[in-house]
Amino acid sequence: MTTDQSSTTTTVAAGPNAEDPDLVPGLLPESPGDREARHPRTPLWRSLLHGTGLVGSILVITVILCGTIGPLFTPYAPDQQIDGAYLLQPSLDHWFGTDDVNRDIATRVLYGIRIDLLIIFLAVPIGAALGVVAGLATVTHPASDVIAQRVFDVILAFPALILGITLTAILGPGAVTVGVVIALAEIPIFGRLTRTSVLRVRELPYVEAARVSGATTSRILLRHVLPHSLEALSVQFALSLSLAVFIEGALSYLGIGVVAPAPSLGSILAGGNGYLETNPWFSLGPLIAVSILVLGFYLIAQSISHDRRLRR
Amino acid sequence: MTGYLLRRIPTAIVVLAVASILIFAVLRLIPGGPEAALAGPDATAAELAAIRHDLGLDQAFITQYLAWVGDILALDLGTSYQVGGSIADLIGFGLINTLILTVAALIIAILLALALALTAVLFDNRFVAGLLTVVNAAAIALPTFVVGTVLILVFGVRLRLLPAGGIPPNGFTESLQISTQYLILPALTLGLPAGAMLARFLTESLRTELQQPYVLTARALGASRTDIVLKHALRNALPPTLTALGITVGALLGGAVLVESIFGWPGLGLLTEEGIFARDYPLVQVLILLSVAVFVIIQLLADIVHAWLDPRIRLAGDR
Repeated sequence: MTTDQSSTTTTVAAGPNAEDPDLVPGLLPESPGDREARHPRTPLWRSLLHGTGLVGSILVITVILCGTIGPLFTPYAPDQQIDGAYLLQPSLDHWFGTDDVNRDIATRVLYGIRIDLLIIFLAVPIGAALGVVAGLATVTHPASDVIAQRVFDVILAFPALILGITLTAILGPGAVTVGVVIALAEIPIFGRLTRTSVLRVRELPYVEAARVSGATTSRILLRHVLPHSLEALSVQFALSLSLAVFIEGALSYLGIGVVAPAPSLGSILAGGNGYLETNPWFSLGPLIAVSILVLGFYLIAQSISHDRRLRR
Repeated sequence: MTGYLLRRIPTAIVVLAVASILIFAVLRLIPGGPEAALAGPDATAAELAAIRHDLGLDQAFITQYLAWVGDILALDLGTSYQVGGSIADLIGFGLINTLILTVAALIIAILLALALALTAVLFDNRFVAGLLTVVNAAAIALPTFVVGTVLILVFGVRLRLLPAGGIPPNGFTESLQISTQYLILPALTLGLPAGAMLARFLTESLRTELQQPYVLTARALGASRTDIVLKHALRNALPPTLTALGITVGALLGGAVLVESIFGWPGLGLLTEEGIFARDYPLVQVLILLSVAVFVIIQLLADIVHAWLDPRIRLAGDR
């Protein structure tokens, strides 16, 4: 791979958005140089700092700040019932109004963000780690490959929400159950991804070289193969965070997620659902927070995957 | 091809069998069995035991499971304890509603995908590209419960243009106009993310086609850009997108659970939710098995089509 950074493109560079060849179709066939890496060794986190990645990071960081330090500034507690504040409209005292049991919705949204972040940042890494381990295990032995693949198939055969509804019926509703559902849903996704990328590099000369020089299988997998999959895994990780916010919201919306009176974005939304006719602003706060969070993670995933394709 | 089918089909059957055992076992782990729900809070231990005996719940797990599988294979789905009535009838009613919703959503998704992808390819300037990126990201990423709530708020509550939920009072025997009014919001909510996802596939596929030499030839012969895209590139870009359509149908059926709950749409998703909370084992186990079977079959079909198109996959195990 050459690192000639001045290698400009023919059709693409002439277009108005030269930094984004994917958005410029151009009817002329592309020359191989068009897909040449311009920054082949750019570290992964650079994707977070420009274009859609930057927008995504700003959105996510804003929500994270709201969820971490926001609760320090609210004059109310999330479950505090304020006298005479039944379903108030938004005002300076109550930015998103108050709910049907006289609680400040803005406060509940801030605490809801906190619980959501806690769930997704615990459940997704756990699920991802288990999935990666299972994915690496598939290539060590033919039998483990067959077993792990069928386990992935079986988990994937259950739609995430059906899995969630069923598990909730057994474990009882609550933040822990939501976390278990999310982690379980991630295992086959990361497992398959890891397996595919391991299979792709297994036959490459540098892996063979490592084996010839006496490296053990686990060393080759961890030191040589896994780093190669890092980009694909980070894209999926960001997507999974986005999906996890969705699963939490969906389960709580169905009334089987985080239990009252603890607020979560989905449960506040579910509460506001009964008042869409009369008090639509009830749902506004959680709607905004969920949208920003989901969109932010999604944009980050898109940005990493886009930069990664450029590097190919 | 036969070799591939002989390897692939047994795998699907094994997955289904394992899933059926899991479903059967897992539902019996739910605390507070159906006897408690049936007998009410004041039942004595003897009454509970009698009900368990009537339902066959006191038999060995394996006996119960085999009896159930036998019934299913004989196409006898059984009777619901709680929701009431024959399970086949309940599922039939729900299935029609879910299918109507899914098909409507699929049509919306396909139209949306064509519109977005063709716009992206035909009008390629910075403004359109930026706009499409935003629309696409929002349509894919925004959760259905957010989109659904906003649609209900705007069209159902504020503008009062469309009903905010449910199905037509007399089912879909009503006039087409009334049916469409009830269908439009849920179908849009369900079809939007699927359509945006398909649009990404189709755009990518169209752009790959537009880099082929035949496009240059057509251009040299004086064909207009629109002609090239519509008459040549689109035709060749469709097959890979059709494979993606299989995934889309699966996603639509899975997403229907939530959309049905948002809009109070009496389909299979709402029935599953109702059944689980009522501890209606016979109903729920059939419903979950059905959804797993649908997913496994769609996956199987997608793999077979893929193998048929790509000899490398088909022949992988024959070496």
